[in-house]
Amino acid sequence: MKKIYGIILALIILVIAWNFFGPKKFHSHPEKEFRFVIASEPPTLDWSLATDNVSADILFNLMEGLIQFDSDLNVKPALAERWDISSDGKRYTFHLRSDALWTDGKPILASHFVDGWERLLNPKTASDYAYFLFDVKNAKEYNAGKLTDFDTVGIHAQDDHTLVVDLWHPASYFLKIPFFWVTFPIRKDIIEQFKDAWTDPKNIVTCGPFRLKEWKHDYSVTLEANPSYYGEKPKISTATAYIINEDSTALSLYDTNKVDLIRRIPPLLISHYKNLADYKNSPFLRGYYYGMNVKKKPFTDSRIRKAFSLAIDRSQLSTILQGNQIPTSSWIPKGMFGYDETIGLKFDKEKAQLLLAQAGYPKGEHFPSIKMVYDTRDDNKIIAEFLQSQWKEHLNVTVSIDNQEWKVHLKMLETNPPELWRLGWGADFPDPDNFMNLFTSYSGNNHTQWKNKEYDQLIEEAAKELDSQKRLTLYQKAQHLLTEEDVPIIPLFIDSQNVLLKSYVKGYTLNPMSNNILKNISISKND
Amino acid sequence: MIPFILKRIFISIPVIFVLATITFCIMRITPGGPFDKDKAIPPEIKANIEAKYHLDRPLWSQYFYYMKGLIQGDLGPSYKYLGRSVTDIIKDSLPVSVELGLYAAFLAFLLGIPLGIIAAYKHGTWLDSSSMFIAISGITLPSFLVAALLIYFFSFKMGWFPAGLWEGGWEYKILPVAALGLRPVAIIARLMRTSMLDVIKADYVRTARAKGLSEFPVILKHVLKNSLIPVITISGPLLAGIITGSFVIEHVFAIPGMAKHFILAVTNRDYPLIMGVTLIYAVLLILANILVDVLYAVIDPRIKVS
Repeated sequence: MKKIYGIILALIILVIAWNFFGPKKFHSHPEKEFRFVIASEPPTLDWSLATDNVSADILFNLMEGLIQFDSDLNVKPALAERWDISSDGKRYTFHLRSDALWTDGKPILASHFVDGWERLLNPKTASDYAYFLFDVKNAKEYNAGKLTDFDTVGIHAQDDHTLVVDLWHPASYFLKIPFFWVTFPIRKDIIEQFKDAWTDPKNIVTCGPFRLKEWKHDYSVTLEANPSYYGEKPKISTATAYIINEDSTALSLYDTNKVDLIRRIPPLLISHYKNLADYKNSPFLRGYYYGMNVKKKPFTDSRIRKAFSLAIDRSQLSTILQGNQIPTSSWIPKGMFGYDETIGLKFDKEKAQLLLAQAGYPKGEHFPSIKMVYDTRDDNKIIAEFLQSQWKEHLNVTVSIDNQEWKVHLKMLETNPPELWRLGWGADFPDPDNFMNLFTSYSGNNHTQWKNKEYDQLIEEAAKELDSQKRLTLYQKAQHLLTEEDVPIIPLFIDSQNVLLKSYVKGYTLNPMSNNILKNISISKND
Repeated sequence: MIPFILKRIFISIPVIFVLATITFCIMRITPGGPFDKDKAIPPEIKANIEAKYHLDRPLWSQYFYYMKGLIQGDLGPSYKYLGRSVTDIIKDSLPVSVELGLYAAFLAFLLGIPLGIIAAYKHGTWLDSSSMFIAISGITLPSFLVAALLIYFFSFKMGWFPAGLWEGGWEYKILPVAALGLRPVAIIARLMRTSMLDVIKADYVRTARAKGLSEFPVILKHVLKNSLIPVITISGPLLAGIITGSFVIEHVFAIPGMAKHFILAVTNRDYPLIMGVTLIYAVLLILANILVDVLYAVIDPRIKVS
């Protein structure tokens, strides 16, 4: 018996010793392999169904749409080499490139876009983002099942390389929509052949600068350069996205050179990395705000809503959050057409106190107890506590704080919004309509209960207005209403991207949409 | 033996159904739904989504629809990971958790039993105190702290092991296994010590010594065998818990195991996935307990499985 134990022990020691001192499996990092972190498993790589940024991080490298944006968010050709817009702004004719191929070598045709848009709108697909095409003639009716013949919808392939889209009305933002992943073309034959498994690496057919090499669920997604891509071929051979939800793990792996890019640094750790050359920062089109329920006292009185907005010294926010967030009192974010920093209620505690007194609460006396609610997250807590202290200091009112899990928070906003609550909004496409539409009386995203016909009308007019100067004026008026006169929301800041990127990685740029574009990356460790 | 196992499995079936029913009810009472997102969707689109996943039916109809699928072995589609079935998700992630858990369990028995034996045999000496210090530390230190300390010393300071990931080599497994295994090591060591201290004073042990047997056979044949019963009792739920993964360990080391789904499925309100992982855990727990009952009989012939 003793001998057997001895042999087992010796074997265990040998195996362990071999793994420690034998040939190392660690390999040096090849110059054409790029590794980055994504925060979760992509819920899907089916671009008709994807609704989240993680899936988008992969999809924007696997696929391309009709157009793309340059770093200043100007529209540039992609799969459409040019386009015509009719004089009434209701017909868009896209002329496709003839040299663009799918990864299986077949050419990209206008019918693939028609198939993609049909699939997006088909009620059976049940795509969240079908509404992106609701400006297209009969699209909404087709999606609702009221029309079953897709030929009646305003999307047609005139020939192999010409796509015609007819809208109900002019939509000044429409040209930016085909950047969004849900509008990418599809290969209906591939989807029909492989059903749910069509996005598996062995089945998927794409047309972007990379193709899907491997998808280890919950662990990593590996892309490789697509040799049949029409444009300049990527300089890296592979890009691997590691799925790491825990920020400290991502940072540990970055610090030990296991990954080259991290796109999220916890607010409390930004100061630790801020002075490194690897640290990059840039604003992006995401607004952070507190909403007020205008149907609940005391926020039924616009003077109180104004007082709460005026009593916040927003300049302190970037110091508190450390990430170069841009304090704002207006709603259209910096970097987007229509941004105007002069709009909104700036910090003015005297005026705030005066308005509060006029509303019947001089020096905050007898102000009812109110509650502000945010979704549980470290940075949200910091901001809520900051606001609480500002209102106490400048208005002498006490606001209690509550936090809740994300889905509970959303359900509460949908069913019974409290007096004060937190939310944010990131741009789906870089146009003010995407931000301003939020607070129209018919928007499902407007939890303030505020309804203003004038505001609705301004937003509708601005959406249809093709003259940019007139459009700008309309948005200015709407922003005045939203952030200075009726004030159902308190805009606080425009968010920023805080990333860590190894110095040997070149060509990666932060863009205002926070899209993770990898095609221009190169790795050079000799510099 | 086989009729006993079959009987236990048969008895477990209603337990599984009761559990499935309770889980189903709790899920639906919880505020928030699988398709609630920060960007609201128009009602007609919401209707399409609900129709696709049969959420437009009355609750009782959804319940029977799910149960019908369950009887046929269909755990349904994930609401979060579109195009993937719950079965696929479990198939991909459970083997990773099982692998990690088995290493940790092996470590727990390999270290826990000898530590317990040493502590009991050298009762009251520095060896006892040291073993129990390790055991108490293992029980009291939270696993995220153990993991962080291991990463700090062995990854950052010494550079011996990677700070995370699961690439297949042994070097990727050492730290998570150590972090996951420390607590079971401690539990087993403490149980073993207590149990041995009882057995060591028993008359038959004194008799064995009086008959002139040397210490090693006394410990191995008389003391160890009888002291193992409490350890075996605890090892059933311990094993089931450890092989279904640890959320903290898998999270900290970026391991693609199943444990994350216990938490994320709830935060995502991914109803079928919540049901799937709950039921898998229940099945494993039941199987582990049956195994324990069988082991009782093997270790101690006085205990009959029937």
